[in-house]
Amino acid sequence: MTLATGNVLPRPAPSQFRIRLRGDYLAMASFAVLAAMALGAIFAPWLAPYDPLAIEMTRIMQTPSGAHWFGTDGQGRDIFSRVLFGLRLTAMMGFCAIAVGGAIGTAIGLLAAFYPRLDGALMRLMDVLLSFPAILFGLAVAAIIGAGTLSVIIALAISTVPLTARIARGAGLTVIAQDYIAAGRVIGLTDSGLLLRYILPNCLSTIVVFLTLRLGQAILLAASLGFLGLGTQPPAPELGTMAAQGVNFFFFAPHVTIIPSLVIFALVLATNILGDFLRDILDPRLRG
Amino acid sequence: MLRYTAQRLLLAIPVILGVLLIGFALLNLVPSDPATVRAGPTASAEIIAQIRIEMGLDRPLWEQFLRYVSNVLQGDLGNSLVNNMSVAEELSRSFLATLELILLCLVWAVPMAILLGVVAAVSRGGILDRLIISGAVAGISLPVFLIGMVLLWTFGFKLQWLPFTGRGGPLWTADGFRHAVLPSLCLGLIFIGPVARITRTSMLEILGADHIRTARAKGLTESVIVGRHALRNALIPVTTLIGLQIGYLLGGAIVTETIFSWPGVGRLAVGAIVANDLPVAQGAIIALALGFIAINIIVDLLYAVLDPRIQAR
Repeated sequence: MTLATGNVLPRPAPSQFRIRLRGDYLAMASFAVLAAMALGAIFAPWLAPYDPLAIEMTRIMQTPSGAHWFGTDGQGRDIFSRVLFGLRLTAMMGFCAIAVGGAIGTAIGLLAAFYPRLDGALMRLMDVLLSFPAILFGLAVAAIIGAGTLSVIIALAISTVPLTARIARGAGLTVIAQDYIAAGRVIGLTDSGLLLRYILPNCLSTIVVFLTLRLGQAILLAASLGFLGLGTQPPAPELGTMAAQGVNFFFFAPHVTIIPSLVIFALVLATNILGDFLRDILDPRLRG
Repeated sequence: MLRYTAQRLLLAIPVILGVLLIGFALLNLVPSDPATVRAGPTASAEIIAQIRIEMGLDRPLWEQFLRYVSNVLQGDLGNSLVNNMSVAEELSRSFLATLELILLCLVWAVPMAILLGVVAAVSRGGILDRLIISGAVAGISLPVFLIGMVLLWTFGFKLQWLPFTGRGGPLWTADGFRHAVLPSLCLGLIFIGPVARITRTSMLEILGADHIRTARAKGLTESVIVGRHALRNALIPVTTLIGLQIGYLLGGAIVTETIFSWPGVGRLAVGAIVANDLPVAQGAIIALALGFIAINIIVDLLYAVLDPRIQAR
């Protein structure tokens, strides 16, 4: 796909070309990392060598070895197995939050763009939501409904709504100004027909790129809330929660904290690089 | 400028009302009935009913909200359910600690990030540029707790150069400063990445502008062009981004405080939520949100000073 566009574009200067290529390699590597993690997460029940919840007090805090690739934690559980299941949980939280928040935000943004009468009120409301840092939603939701996986998803979804609404509104306004939308009105298409069949599909690439870039941040936040004890509760294997459980004996067995943290780092880094790459291809306007 | 300041402050009012509404919701929407919690597990139904009346819980919701707002405005945030201390008092103590941490972080991280961004822009495409950009992307992908734990392990535990738990006193004392070094380093490291990145983008844009070409044609030295003509203009979007990143910084501060046992508002909030101490949790969340709003207003005003076109709008 990239080669095809490369042929159409005028041949870039050599240094530019190298940078482009290097970017591609990075993006390819990121894609490979994400694909491996996705497969690991999907097939976790078959791939995991041990039960992620099985406590075995005779083998606690072992460093990585052939039997336990990532070592064992403070209760003798196999960290590799827990990481596989943890990827599932962490990725699920990120995806759910982004999907729900993204859908609501897109609806609000497109409605604001389409109906000027709603615009002021809706976007003011979004501005108010935007004035809260995402982590505060995390704290507030945890305080109201209690710490857990669901509260993290709700908090992340709420904090995704206003940002997505802004992006969707901007994209929507550009599309609505096009002649074909006016033409659609003239031939008598309904508002919902216009919005769903013509405006939404034409805004989608911008929104998807934005949400991909947002996904990395959402995963980091979910992990941070888990680390603080306000996310998924133990013994469930969530990566941030796992990192937190190693803190108490960090000086004796740092790998219990470090390994889940590094997995989060790899996951977020790959997501961010891929997001940047998608943005450069699909929607360079979002850059910066 | 005065008019702009007034305008900006007016805009903050609905946001502050939103914050108070969330604070109120925290105290009232929780599944457990506050009167039952206050009365204790052995209280009879009559005593609970009496406490409900005492706490005003029998009044309509809007009346309760007004009373709540007037209490907050008078600095009364209730008492802790755990140790019965005044929430306002606990907050005033921990707020100072958080402010200290964030200021110490900004003092070194902002100049550092701008410097890195400028260096990357000037050596565009070179090794330094690539190193800095890769470092920045890695920086925004790192969990704060990984940075914190690695710093703690290296400089606190292995090398034993610096203390890594608690606050040693006010920042200006030697012990206080030594205690603050690692937490502020941890916080700053997550902040540098995005700021360096935007500085680089913004510098590259400005360096291609006409007035820079004119400056070059006039024969000005490169350092004057970069330092005086480009950087000043490039700083405008950087200031906006710093404002936007304050929320991110706040999130980082909450985790950092927890790792280094720094007695700030974030740690207070987390501890209170875990202990189900709602008045403290509510107070801390309100304090964090109001602090965030205040910082954003300051950044906006700073922005107007840097870019006079903003005031005219």
